[in-house]
Amino acid sequence: MANIREIRERIDSIKQILKITNAMYLMSSSKLKKARKSLEDTEPYFYKLQTTIDSILEHTPHTRQLYFDRRSGIPEEKRKKGYIVITADKGLCGSYNHNILKFTENELQQAADIDNCSLFVMGQVGRMYFQNRMRSGKKAYVDSEFLYTTQNPTLYRAMEIAQLVLDKFESGELDEVYLIYTDMVTANTQEARKVRLLPFERKHLGKDKDGTLKKLPKASFLPSPEEVMAELIPNYAKGVIYGAMVEAFCCEQQSRMTAMDAATTSAKDMIKDLSLLYNRARQAAITQEITEVCGGAASIGE
Amino acid sequence: MAKTFHLEIIATDRIFYQGDCEHLVITAIDGLVGIMAGHEPIVTTLPTGELKYMVDGKWNYAAISGGFIQVMPDSSIILADNCELPEEIDIKRAQEARERAQERLRQKQSIKEYYQTQAALNRAMNRLKVSQKHFK
Repeated sequence: MANIREIRERIDSIKQILKITNAMYLMSSSKLKKARKSLEDTEPYFYKLQTTIDSILEHTPHTRQLYFDRRSGIPEEKRKKGYIVITADKGLCGSYNHNILKFTENELQQAADIDNCSLFVMGQVGRMYFQNRMRSGKKAYVDSEFLYTTQNPTLYRAMEIAQLVLDKFESGELDEVYLIYTDMVTANTQEARKVRLLPFERKHLGKDKDGTLKKLPKASFLPSPEEVMAELIPNYAKGVIYGAMVEAFCCEQQSRMTAMDAATTSAKDMIKDLSLLYNRARQAAITQEITEVCGGAASIGE
Repeated sequence: MAKTFHLEIIATDRIFYQGDCEHLVITAIDGLVGIMAGHEPIVTTLPTGELKYMVDGKWNYAAISGGFIQVMPDSSIILADNCELPEEIDIKRAQEARERAQERLRQKQSIKEYYQTQAALNRAMNRLKVSQKHFK
């Protein structure tokens, strides 16, 4: 049987950790409340943005706008792909970081030429992971100047990021831009997801269900389609990045809360088991003492 | 009552307005545009500026910063970065932002920073203008 003092020390150390995990649980649950609120506030905008852009594109005459340029002249293995990856700033949030990193890793494996992939990682954990990976000789370039936190997303930060990737797209440093983030499917399920940001896609060419071309009235654009698109697409990119940042932040807090809750529960379980052991050991010690005293008394009496 | 159309103004942080509207006046890139029910479909972008819409014969004003509008004959959707009522504007904060931006414009900056500061200054000036004009 283990030493009484050893068990007591263990219980004490578990209690200390329990305090930390419990505090983190409380903190993340209050942060989650805030993140949920901002997610709820942003969601109408986020969804409306997508449906409106879709319907605008249906009414758009064919334009030779820069952001629509698919650059089909460049073969698949020469295309420079950029990935914006949103991870957390710290660990201790269950499988949240692991999932998103795994997903990105998979994406990179599938890319035709990994040398032409560059990563723009938001959040400390992802940045460290991919920088270590780069140092160990594996390819995929990580932009080390790209330093953005994922805490409390702001529109301003989203704008800066959108500007950065659009600039790179315009100058030809990137041919395709993707956004990888964690999406909150329902309150308890999360999913890593990839969204294509650039070049801009025209998914449906205005076809009806029976396959005939829809006769959509062409909307007029003030002052011209090109100029409107040149303003609208950066705006759209900003909106999408902001929406993704809000989603991801909410997911992060959710997973941290769940993870810390589980840690607190298992710490409590451990304390329960250990106190049982402790009491048993204490009882054994007392019994032994009594036997010794009795034995001593008996030997004197003889 | 005049003919109405459905208007939705959605900002990144909330739904600003959703409902019927008789007349809408926006500041587009090259000037003011008035929209009533049955307007031809147009799409245009909205720079930082002022916006007014008439509900039940009464004009409502708002300060808007950056966004776009899609107009259909029976409905219009405005998606904006920010949209505020004149009485919601924090004058002190806007003044501080203006001073900060003006201060920064005097410094040497890169072109990108210069544009950003200019945009910030624009937003602050617009806020002040709208709140001074319509909220006393």
